[in-house]
Formats: sequence, C-alpha cells, structure tokens
Amino acid sequence: MSNDTGKAVRQKRSSRRGQSSDLLVRWSFMFPAVLLLVTMLAYPIFYTIDISFSRFDIASFSAGEWVGWENYLEVIDDYRFWESLKVTMIYLAFALPLQVVLGFGIAYLINAEWSGRGVIRALFIIPMVVAPVVAGGMWRMILDPLWGIMNHWLGFIGIGPLDWFGNPTLAMAAVIIIDTWRWTPFIVLIATAALLALPKDVFEAAKIDGANWWSTLWSVAVPLLVPVIAATFVIRWLGAVKMFDIVLAATYGGPGKATNVINLFIYEEAFRSLRFAESAAMAVIVLVLTMVLTGLFLRASRKLEELF
Amino acid sequence: MSSVLTSMPRRSASTLGHKLRIAGGVVISLVFLFPIYWMILTSFKDQVDIFTTPPKFFFTPTLAAYIEYMQRADIVNRLINTIIVATGAGLLSIVVGTMAGYALARIRLRGAATFGLLILLSRGVPPIALAVPMFLVARKFGLIDKHITLILAYSTFLIPYVMWLMRSFFMGLPRELEESAMIDGCSRYGAFFKIILPISLPGVLSTLIFSMILAWEELLFALVLTNRHASTIPVAIAGIAGDTVNGANWAALTAVGTITVIPVVVFALLVQKWLIKGLAEGATKG
Repeated sequence: MSNDTGKAVRQKRSSRRGQSSDLLVRWSFMFPAVLLLVTMLAYPIFYTIDISFSRFDIASFSAGEWVGWENYLEVIDDYRFWESLKVTMIYLAFALPLQVVLGFGIAYLINAEWSGRGVIRALFIIPMVVAPVVAGGMWRMILDPLWGIMNHWLGFIGIGPLDWFGNPTLAMAAVIIIDTWRWTPFIVLIATAALLALPKDVFEAAKIDGANWWSTLWSVAVPLLVPVIAATFVIRWLGAVKMFDIVLAATYGGPGKATNVINLFIYEEAFRSLRFAESAAMAVIVLVLTMVLTGLFLRASRKLEELF
Repeated sequence: MSSVLTSMPRRSASTLGHKLRIAGGVVISLVFLFPIYWMILTSFKDQVDIFTTPPKFFFTPTLAAYIEYMQRADIVNRLINTIIVATGAGLLSIVVGTMAGYALARIRLRGAATFGLLILLSRGVPPIALAVPMFLVARKFGLIDKHITLILAYSTFLIPYVMWLMRSFFMGLPRELEESAMIDGCSRYGAFFKIILPISLPGVLSTLIFSMILAWEELLFALVLTNRHASTIPVAIAGIAGDTVNGANWAALTAVGTITVIPVVVFALLVQKWLIKGLAEGATKG
C-alpha cells in the first residue's frame, strides 16, 4: 500500500463526510483524557494556587479572603521549611548519583552471557514492585538497632551496633539505602535495554585497536551511553522529588527532623496542623522549584549529548 | 569479540573476568532479594522466634501472624478496597490513556502536541500539591472515603503514564496497518478497535497490570482521601510501621507486607518480558 493512495483516500473521505465530523471523531480519542486531567489535575493545581494566596477559613473549610503574598512570606520566614528543603536536597544529592551509577554497574554485571541471565533479569524486577511503604517497613525491621539482622552482620566485621534510627546521619543513610534498594532495579532495567542497544561493531573496532577493558569503557561505552544516563537521571529525579512513603514508614522524618523530607513536612502541616494556606504556599514553591530544576536538568542533558 | 558490555563469545566465555562478572551478578541479585526473603521468613515466625540474638534462620513455621491479622476485619476490608481501587483506576486509565496515546501517536490534532508536553510536565507535580485541594473539594461534596474518589485521584498519575507508554508503543507499529483498514472501509474507530487494539493487546495488558501495581502501592492519596470505609492496605502498613506506642509489631508488619507483595510479584513475573520492554522504552523514548 503506497502512502499516496492512503492520503488520497483520506482526503476523499474527509471531503465526503465533511471536515467537522472527522474532527469530532479525531478529538473523541483525546477528549476523555483531557476532561479527566483538567478536572483532576489542572483544577486542583489552580485551587492550590488560589488557597496559597488566601486566608484559609477553617469554619467553611475553603479559601477565604485574598491576602496576597502573606502565606508565602510566612513560609519563607519558617526555618522548618528551609530545614526540610535542605534534608530533601541532601537525600537527592546522595541517592540520585548513587542509584544511577549502581544501576548501570549492576546492569553490566547481570548481563554477562550465561544460562541464568534471563532468570536474574526477571528476579531484579521484584524489588521494584514492592510497595515503597512495605519497603520502608521491612527495612525498619532489618535495620533495627537491637534485633535487626543488619547490625548482627555488621558485628561480624567489628562495626556497631549502629543506632540506625537514633542518629541523624545514620537515619539519613538508612533512608538512602532503602530508597536505593527500591529504585536501583528500575534503573538496572533501563540500563539493560541501553546496553543491549549498543552497536557491537564499535567495540570490535576498539578491540582490534588494542584498547583494554578500562579505556573501552571510558572512551567507547560511556560516551555512547551518556544520553541514556542523562535521561535516566531526569526520570529518577522526577520520581525522587516525590519521596514520601519510604520516609513515612521507616523514620517518620526522625530523629528530630533529620529525615523530614519536604513532602512529609507539607503533609504534616496540612493534615495534622490544618495549616492549609501555608501548606498550599509551600506546595506551590516546591512545584515551581521542581519545574525549574527539571528544565535545567533537561537542558544540561541536551548539552551533554552535544558534547559527546 | 562481539561486545564488551553485552555479550561474550564462546572463546572468552571461560575467562576469569567473565566468571567474576557472573558471580558478581548472582551475588548482587541475592543481596537485593534478601530483604524480601527475610520479610517472608519473619512472617512465618512465632513471636519468640522474631526477637532473638542471633536472628533465626531455622525455626518451626507458624501461620499465627496471618491468622491473627486476616481475622481483623480491617485488613480483609482494606484488601478488598485495594483490589477495587487498583482495578477501577487501572481500567479507567488504560481505556482513557490508550485512546489518548493513540491520538498522540497517530492522529493529527491541533494543540495535541502542547497537551502532550503538558502531560509530560505533569510528572513533575508533587502529589501533595494535588492532595490538599482534592481533600478540600472531596470534603465539600461528601466524597471523602469513597472508592471513586481514590480511583479518580489515581487517574491523575496513571493516565499520563499509560498515555506515554502507549504512545511510544503505537509509534512502533507500521502506519500501513490502519491506512489499509481505512481504505477497506473501516472507520477510524473500526481501525483502532478492530486492527490496532488486538495486535497491541500484550502491550496494553502489561501496561494495565503495571498501572494496577502503581495504584495498589499508592499511599499519600489513600492517607488523605480515605479514613475507614475505603482505606487501603498501604495505609494499614504505614499505621503498623509507625506505631511507636505499642512498639514494632513485626509479625503484623511482615504478614501484611507479604500479603501485599506476593500478588504483585506474581503478576509482575507473569508479564516480565513485556514489562521490561515497555518500561525501558517508555522511560528512554519519553
């Protein structure tokens, strides 16, 4: 079937039935999604913005009079908000690079050709379908300072006992470990696809040129993988900024506020302290920050692609 | 040598490096699977076998934890709720998202590209920014603690996900498929439902299953939008894990955790081939 006949027939059809009815049919594919996302996604975002500029009326449980930037000023003055942002940044700064590097490294290991490769690849799916809240709960048990098996094992090599959930630094480490356990398999999956898609002849050429393993990795494989690595980073970033379940189950932001990531903080402010206006303002700030940073990351990843 | 990173030819299959790589892969897999194994193991322990030093690997298994917590009405109720919500949200999103994904891939619409970009951007919206207004609106209209509220809330992240996966899936199909169907007199609906959908069924099904898994695991909206009636399993787990008053109830945590994880793992392994392909493509081509 040639493309031209297809076009001709389509033109004939559209002139016969009339442009408008075809337009209706075409939009009918899109319409349900547009309707649902406008009412359930766009409207709530605008409502959040509305609340963030209003005094929240607790009696009617809705946005009251307009107060301008008052809620924003209050939030910016709140040191707990900044603490929470800082905690979130620390988590992201450690977890994201760790997961991307581990993910690609593990993908390299598990894709060695042997009879068990398929099984191992399938088994790696399992952690990524464990509900994050379950992951948080079960690791809380594994890392328990008194009865946990992790401290028991660490004892063999002379470490500990570590107070995983009592020490602020260790609690953050615990959160990063749990998150890495839960999300690295997802990156392994993407990395596996990327590795399998690598052109084979380039590696043959490198081999013929006498390149060793290390220089092949750095001057052939990594440059080829840079676009995928950058894309993986952005995808994982979009997931990681939503960090909530694992922290809630494993540390509930503690000890003190050491792991109180921004989403948990806003949740607490809104639904425990009922400070909806301030929470809305924080949510809008986080939304804008996320968008700006995502934009920057996307630009950086495009720059990286050009570089290599 | 075909490729350093992906495959090794027979000749070098026995080299030390290759063996180390296999061994490393096996060890790292065991490390990643151990926590789940440990959770399942603990769920079959008696209370006295849980709190021991050193931790016990061998013990007389018991179903005590399951019997105790399955009998508590709220766990069974929550399980049913989770099934209803995950199925509802999954089906709604797959229907709406697949059609929209097809539109993005194949139908020329003014403004559709902008809409597609907005959808992609929506992945950056923190769920808490949606949870606050959803709670307020749902409360106003008496929609708190209803299955439908949760189903609609989940569609906010499932529809974009399905749209994006299915878009890249449809773009991989040859255009001639529906063009020849439409020349043969099929309407646009006919071409989609009779030609495109049947051959896309494996992709649609695996996307549906993964959407259901995402809904099954969701915590924040469930915490905010339900309280007793329509509450789901993740909320129960958060409650057990966060119960600092009674201390860690590991028997409950591991039993309920295992019940939550097992069906999902079974489903995921059933569709793992499609899952790997779909996820990897959706992630990299998105």
